[in-house]
Order: sequence, then structure tokens, then C-alpha cells
Amino acid sequence: MTDIAARQLPRSSNGKIGDPLFRGVATFFAVLVLVILSGVMIALVHGALPALGHFGFGFLLTDSWNPVTDKFGALAPIVGTLLTSAIAMLIGIPLAFGVAVFITELCPVWLKRPLSTIIELLAAVPSIIYGIWGLFVFAPFMQSYVEPAIVNTLGNVPGIGRFFAGPPLGIGILTAGIILGIMVLPFISSIMRDVFETVPLILKESAYGLGSTTWEVMWQVVLPFTRIGVVGGIMLGLGRALGETMAVTFVIGNAHRVQTSILAPGTTISASLANEFTEAVGDLYLSSLFALGFILFVITFIVLAIAKLMLVQMSKRAGT
Amino acid sequence: MNAQQHATTGAAPSNATLGAPRIEVKARATEPEGQARPDLVEKVVIRDMSFFYKDFEAVRGINLALYDRHVTAFIGPSGCGKSTLLRTLNRIYDLYPGQRATGEILIDGHNILEPGQDLNLLRAKVGMVFQKPTPFPMSIFDNVAFGIRLYEKLPAAELEERVESALRRAALWEEVKDKLKQSGLSLSGGQQQRLCIARAIAVRPEILLLDEPASALDPISTQKIEELISELKSDYCIAIVTHNMQQAARSSDYTAFMYLGELVEFDETETIFTKPRDRRTEDYITGRFG
Repeated sequence: MTDIAARQLPRSSNGKIGDPLFRGVATFFAVLVLVILSGVMIALVHGALPALGHFGFGFLLTDSWNPVTDKFGALAPIVGTLLTSAIAMLIGIPLAFGVAVFITELCPVWLKRPLSTIIELLAAVPSIIYGIWGLFVFAPFMQSYVEPAIVNTLGNVPGIGRFFAGPPLGIGILTAGIILGIMVLPFISSIMRDVFETVPLILKESAYGLGSTTWEVMWQVVLPFTRIGVVGGIMLGLGRALGETMAVTFVIGNAHRVQTSILAPGTTISASLANEFTEAVGDLYLSSLFALGFILFVITFIVLAIAKLMLVQMSKRAGT
Repeated sequence: MNAQQHATTGAAPSNATLGAPRIEVKARATEPEGQARPDLVEKVVIRDMSFFYKDFEAVRGINLALYDRHVTAFIGPSGCGKSTLLRTLNRIYDLYPGQRATGEILIDGHNILEPGQDLNLLRAKVGMVFQKPTPFPMSIFDNVAFGIRLYEKLPAAELEERVESALRRAALWEEVKDKLKQSGLSLSGGQQQRLCIARAIAVRPEILLLDEPASALDPISTQKIEELISELKSDYCIAIVTHNMQQAARSSDYTAFMYLGELVEFDETETIFTKPRDRRTEDYITGRFG
């Protein structure tokens, strides 16, 4: 009896101190995240205010970027960011879906693990490596083979031809978009693979049991079933594409102009920031860069919001 | 083995007319009363079929015939191979590497175990319903239309008709006719299972495989499913796997008792449950093991 009492005593006193302590520490960490986030926000807005005040709403709509005359507009980097990310998604999503379908449904068992590992290794390659590879290997390849082919075919189509016209420089929006597509592929595909594997076997069997092909099962049953995870994976990839700096800076050409052709050089928000912070002289210049950063923040936020809305819509349609 | 021999002799008259799409078998001497169908048609004939998970022989040398427009129940203790046997009939096991069946399974005289068999067409002809309801994440209408759309391009009005008649056939129409646009997942478990049956029969299969269709359902839903089964047997050849002996007794015409991967006894349900010939069958149905 005394033994048990002696053992119980410290146990209960532990609970009295330990629990509130643990609760306090956990709460502190949770709040810390909010504090850091709002700190970043405040610093960005504070830094951006002079430029936003000076140029007003027009900052978003002009593409002049002239440090000499102190005229700055964010249109070119905004367009570049959205375009490269859109191209990256156009390439990355179907590829990632294909990879995930292959790994979960079609791949022989012995190949599953090595293939998954290789795809994940693709995500571990530092972005600077993609940048170097892009500049010295991929851009020349684009310049001598892919871009001339695009200019000679799509470039001649009436109407859309001007989007694919111009000299094949190798570096530009398209090249940056493709590199981004390769970079986001492993993120999207490994998440897709994980969520595809959560689909109950019995659900897939009932779809196969009706005589569906693998494609029909994946497209009509598995994909709707896993839509939340899939959209999450795509958003992770998109977030990375929007914010990716180093690889893009290498291959995009860094031109502060909005041009109709996707072959032309351009810039993105993060590429501009990386290139110009060191040489930004003058308060307005620096403040304009802060404003760019703030815009990137807002774009990312909007993208996330759209993703959430999309999920709500999709759930409504599926009725879950 | 006595039981296997019996099953074989049951299928024996078909040997002469092998390959004909429908094989007529003369009425058996032990036709139970109230069964006024002398024209038993062997829809499925299983010959010396064995099934392997890699090297493990889970089902051994099955000889069995399933009659059209009748319900055949597969009973036996867990792991006896009854679900495995059912899963060979639409070759759903083909999804998994390392699983294979040997022997012959003739449907309308055509061996479906042949390598060239078109699995999608086979599965359109042999519908399956699983242990748990598996509505797809889409509306009730789309769930039922799913299989139809795979094979037929129908005008909207005709598609609606097909969906309605499948839902009526599954005794679900009255409950869902006002909410066809709602998700299949919004239904109760019993309704979901009837939705899955509607989805399976919408494709107009000829054979229905039910793998413990009521095991996840409450007693009332179970009763509805059983009523549905006896309704549906006027149109289909039905095979049902069940753990529930009363269910087998109530809803089937023929019963196959399996034990340790072998078919021990096959006969009319009444005979199996009243005068089983094999000791193991008797022990199982009286609850002495399993």
C-alpha cells in the first residue's frame, strides 16, 4: 500500500505542473508562427509604402523599370511570374499525374521503389543546379532545336502566331516555365502517388468490376476520390513555381518588358528581387522592390484562396 | 471425393453439348417441391479450377455449375476460399500480380480463363457487389450511369430511363427519385449497397456476384437486400458468398459448402441444410465449427 501511494504521489504532481507547462509551450510555438508571419507582412508593407504611395495603383499596370529616371512598374515581373508558373503547371501536372498513375497502378512491383526514390531525388536537386543546367545545357538545346521548330510551326498560325514568334534566344519565359515544370514535377507526383494509394482497394475493384479500364478508374473514380490531396499537391507545386528564384533567374533573360511572345526574355518577381537588391540605390528603387515582394505575397495568398474555393465547389458537385 | 464427384455428375450431361451457348440439363430427380423449373440452364461451369496466390494453392480442383435464374450460395468458414472462388468468376483477381487460376471456367460455354479474354467485356457481363458499399464520389445518378456510359453512348432521355429502371430494379427508386443529384455517399449504408446493386445491374450483366453483400448492414437493410436477391434471380444467375447460414438458407436455391480450399458438398439448399451427406458440412451448418 505505501509503495503504491509513494509511486502515485510524484505522478500526480507531475500532471499538475507538466500539463500546463506543455500547454504553455505548445501555445507559444503556435503564436510564434503568427507573430513571424505578421512581422514579415508588416515589414513588407512598411518597405513598400513609399513606392505604392508614389506610383499608386499604376504600379501594377506599367512595365517601365527605369532606375535612372526613378520610374518603376510591376507589370513585367507580375506577368512573367504568372506566365512561367502557368507553363510550369501545364507541363508539371499532366506529367506528375502520369508518373503517379504509372507508379500506383501500372508499374511492376520491383520497379516501384526505385522509381519513387528517383522521382523524390529530383526534388532534392538544389535549384541552383537546375539554373546552371538550364543555362548551359537546356537553353542552348531550346535555342537550336525546340524554339526554331516552334517558331516555324506555331509561329505561323494566324491569330496565335504572335505568341510564338521572335528570335530563338534559348533563354526566356518558355524555357523558364519548362525548367519550373521539371522542378515542381516531383512535388506534385509524390503527393499524388501518396493520395492515390489511400484509395480503398474495394472502391477500385468495384470500378474495375463494372468493366472500366485503368484510365477510366483513375480519371473517374480515383481522381475525384482524392481531389483534396491532389489539389493540395498541385498548390504545393504552384507555390514553389511562383516563388522559385535561382533557376528562373538563370534562364529567363531578366528583361523588364512585357512581350507578346513566350519565347521572349522576361522576368519574374523573385528573379527581379534576387538580381536587383544589391544594386538598388535610392529609396524609391528599394521600396519598389519591397512592393514587388508584397505583390508576390498577395499572389500566393490569392492562389491559395482560389484553391480553397475550388475545393468547396468540387465538394458541392460531388455532394460530400 | 464424394462431394466433388457429385458436383461433377451434376455437370456431366453438359459434356455432350459443350460449346453451345445455353446448355439444357434434364431435371434432377431430387427437385424440391415448389420448384417448378425443369429446365435448369448451366450458366457457369467450373471445371477442375484451382487458384493460387503466388505458390499457395488457396482453392483446389473445383468442379461446379451455377444455374441461370437461380441463386447459388457459397458457404464455409473464413479462409475456405469461397470469396476467392467468387473472384475468379469475373477475373477481378487479375488486378494483382501473382494471383492466377488454372482449369476452366465456362460462361455460356466460353472459357474465360483463356489468356485472350477481354476482361472489360467479361466484367460488364459479370457484375459484382462487394462486402462494403462502394458508392463512387459522385451523384446518385452518375453512380448508376457510370457503367452504362462506359459502354453505350445513349441520348440523355434514354440514359435517364436506364438509370430509373436500374434503381427501380434495386428497390431504391422511391427513396432517391427526388435527390438523384445528391452524392451517393449521402445515402445510408443499406441504401448505398442497393445503389451498388443498381449500378451493377444497370450495365445489364447476365451474372451477379455478391461477396457478402449484407455483412456491413443492419438487420433491416439485410432483409431488404435478401428480398432484392430473390427478386433479381428471375433475371440473373446469382452467386452469393455469405457467412450467415440463415441468409444462405433463406435466399439461395443451391448451396456449395467449401472447406480448406475444397468444395466439400454442393446440392440444393434444402438438402444441404436438412440432409447433408458430408460430416464436415453437417458440423458447419449446425455450428460445431467455423
